[in-house]
Amino acid sequence: MRVLLAEDDAMLGDGLRAGLRQLGFQVDWVRDGVAAERELASGDYAAAVLDLGLPLKDGMDVLQAVRASKITTPVLVLTARDAVPDRIRGLDQGADDYVVKPVDLHELGARLRSLVRRAHGQMQDVLRCGAVLLEPSARRVSLNGECVTLSTREFDLLHVLMLNADRVMSREQLEQQLYSWGYEVESNAIEVHIHHLRRKLQPDLIQTVRGIGYTVQRTSAPT
Amino acid sequence: MRTGRRLKSLQARLLAPLLGLLTVVWLGAAVLIWFDASHELDELLDGHLAQAAALLVMQQSGAHESDSVEDAPSLHKYTPKVVFQVFHEGRLVLRSTNAGTVPISKTEQGFSTVRLADDAQWRVFATRGVERDVQVYVGEQTESRDSILWAVLQGVLLPLVIALPLLALVGWWAVRQGLTPLRHLSQVLARRRPQAMEPLVIPDLSTEMVPMVQALNGLFERIEQMLVSERRFTADAAHELRTPIAAIRAQAQVALGAGDDAAQRDHALQFTLAGCDRATRLVEQLLTLARLETAPASADDVLATVDLSAVTRRVAADLAPTALARGQTLALEAPSPCPVAGDETLIGVLVRNLIDNALRYSPNNAQVVVSVAIESGQAVLRVQDSGAGMTEPEIARLGERFYRVLGSDQPGSGLGWSIVKRIATVFGAQVQVSRSERLGGLAVAVRWPR
Repeated sequence: MRVLLAEDDAMLGDGLRAGLRQLGFQVDWVRDGVAAERELASGDYAAAVLDLGLPLKDGMDVLQAVRASKITTPVLVLTARDAVPDRIRGLDQGADDYVVKPVDLHELGARLRSLVRRAHGQMQDVLRCGAVLLEPSARRVSLNGECVTLSTREFDLLHVLMLNADRVMSREQLEQQLYSWGYEVESNAIEVHIHHLRRKLQPDLIQTVRGIGYTVQRTSAPT
Repeated sequence: MRTGRRLKSLQARLLAPLLGLLTVVWLGAAVLIWFDASHELDELLDGHLAQAAALLVMQQSGAHESDSVEDAPSLHKYTPKVVFQVFHEGRLVLRSTNAGTVPISKTEQGFSTVRLADDAQWRVFATRGVERDVQVYVGEQTESRDSILWAVLQGVLLPLVIALPLLALVGWWAVRQGLTPLRHLSQVLARRRPQAMEPLVIPDLSTEMVPMVQALNGLFERIEQMLVSERRFTADAAHELRTPIAAIRAQAQVALGAGDDAAQRDHALQFTLAGCDRATRLVEQLLTLARLETAPASADDVLATVDLSAVTRRVAADLAPTALARGQTLALEAPSPCPVAGDETLIGVLVRNLIDNALRYSPNNAQVVVSVAIESGQAVLRVQDSGAGMTEPEIARLGERFYRVLGSDQPGSGLGWSIVKRIATVFGAQVQVSRSERLGGLAVAVRWPR
C-alpha cells in the first residue's frame, strides 16, 4: 500500500518512513506543503500522513486545497497541535483522522489501514473474494482456510486488486499504487506478479481485461 | 512597628489630628478668655472698690462724734464677701460686721492684696479723706472674682467637653462614609477570581480613587501580559518537545522492528541517540529562556564588567571541535580586551548561541569569523558566516519563538534567537542582522551601549 508522508522534521520523517516500510507500506516522503499538495493531487496514494506545521504551505492549507479539488485520498493528520479546537478544525477541514505526536508506529499503521479500508467501503479488516481471504493487518492470505505464502509485492498487488474488487485496474495504476519513488519498475513486473498469484492461489482469481488491465470479482457477498 | 501602628487606621489618622487641633484651639481660646476676662474683671471690680471707698469717705466727711463703733447692717447674703472699715482720726467708727478692729491693710492709700483672719484672700482699697482725718478700707474676697472667672470659663469649656465626643462621633461617621468606596473596592477585589484580568469597572468612582484604580488596572494588564506569555511559552514548549519525542519513539520502534537488518537497526539507534541530544538541547534552551524571562528587564542591578574578548575566546574554543568535525573554519579576531557591562554567564550564553547558529546553519567546509572590537566607543561582537544567508522576510521573523528557517535540515528549535534577543535586551545591547559583505552569508552584530 503506497502512502504519502508529509513531514518536515528530518529525524521524525526518517523514522516514520522506516517504520511504515517495516509494516509493509510503500512510503513516499515529502518535506514541505507545496510538494505534499502536488503529490496528493497526483492521486496515486492509498492514504497520506500529513504534518500540520509544514514549511512553504501549512498542512491545514494543503488539506483545504486538496479537498477543494475533490481529491478523496484519506488523510491522517499527524501533529503536535493537541488542542481540541485544532482537532476539530483539522477534522472539519477534511482530515479523516487526527493523531497527536508522538504516535506508536503500529497504531499509525493500523489507522492507515483502517482509513484505506473505509475509503473502499469495507467495514472489516478482512477482504474476501471467493475462497481467497486477505488480512491486511497480519499481512496474511489464505485459500480455503489454508495459509498461502506470498512475497511483499504479490501481497500488495493482491491487496490493491481486492480493495478495488469489481473494478478494472490498469497496469500503470497498479504500478503507481505499488511502487514508491526510487524503484526502477521493470516493464513486465506486474505481469510476473499476476502470474505468480494465479499459480499460488486460483488460476481464475485474477482476470485479464485485454488492453485495459486486471480485475478480481467479488463472487461472494462482501462482509 | 511604629509606622505600622500609625498607619493602622485611616479613620484614626484623619480623626486624631482634627480633634487634636480642635482641642488645642479651643483650650487656647479658653486661656485667652481667662486672661482677658480676669483683666477686665479686675479693672471693673477695682473700680467698684474705689467707688465704694469714695462714697464712704464722702459719707464720713461730716463729723462723727460718737464714740461707738457702728456696725453696718448686713443686707444681703453676699455681704460677708465684702468688708469695709472707716476710721476717723485713727478711731474705728464704721465697719462691716465681718471686719475686725485693726485696719485690714497696712497700705494706707491704694490697692493691696491681704490675707485676713478668716484665711481668705482679700483685695483691699485704702484711701483717706481730703482732710486726712478719715481713713477708709474697702475689701472684697478675691475668691468671688475667681468664681466669676470660672463661671465665664465654664461657658467656654463646657461646650468643648460636650462637643468633642460629638464631633468625634460625627467625624468618625463622616470619614467612614467617605471611605465606603475604598471598602467597596476591597470587596470587589476580594471577590475577584485570580484569572480575571479584565479591568476593574467601579461606577461613581471618587476622584481620589481614580489613580489607584487606574494603577490597579495597569497592574492587571501587566500581569495578564505576563500570564499570556507564560501560557504561550508552556504551550509552545510542550508542542515543540512533541516532535523530537515522536522522532525518538519512531526511531526506537524502527530499531526494534529491524530484525536481522543490522544496518537499519544501527541507523535507527543512531537517530534515537541524536533525537535524545536534540531534546536535551531543546530543554536546556527552554530553561535558559524561562530563566531569562524572569530575569530583570534592565541591567540596573548588573554592574559587573566582563571581558567580551575573553568570553568569546572561551566559547569559540568550546565550539571549535564541532566546527572541525564538519570541516568548517572558525576564526576569532579579538586582539584586545573589551570590557562590557553584564553578567559573564549570560554573555557566554549569547555568544554561544550566535556562534552555534552560524556553525549549525552553514554548510560543511563553511567559514565562520567571530570578531570583537571597539567601534566609536561601543563594544561590538560580530559573527559572520559563508552560509546561504537569509532573505529580508526571514530576518524580520528571527527571534520569534520557535521560528525556523524553512527547509533547513538542522534540527534547531528556533529558540536560539529568542535567547540572544532576550539577553541583549537585558544588557541594553542592540542586535543587527544583515548580509555579510566579507563572507557572503549572514552577519550578526551585537552592539553594547557606550
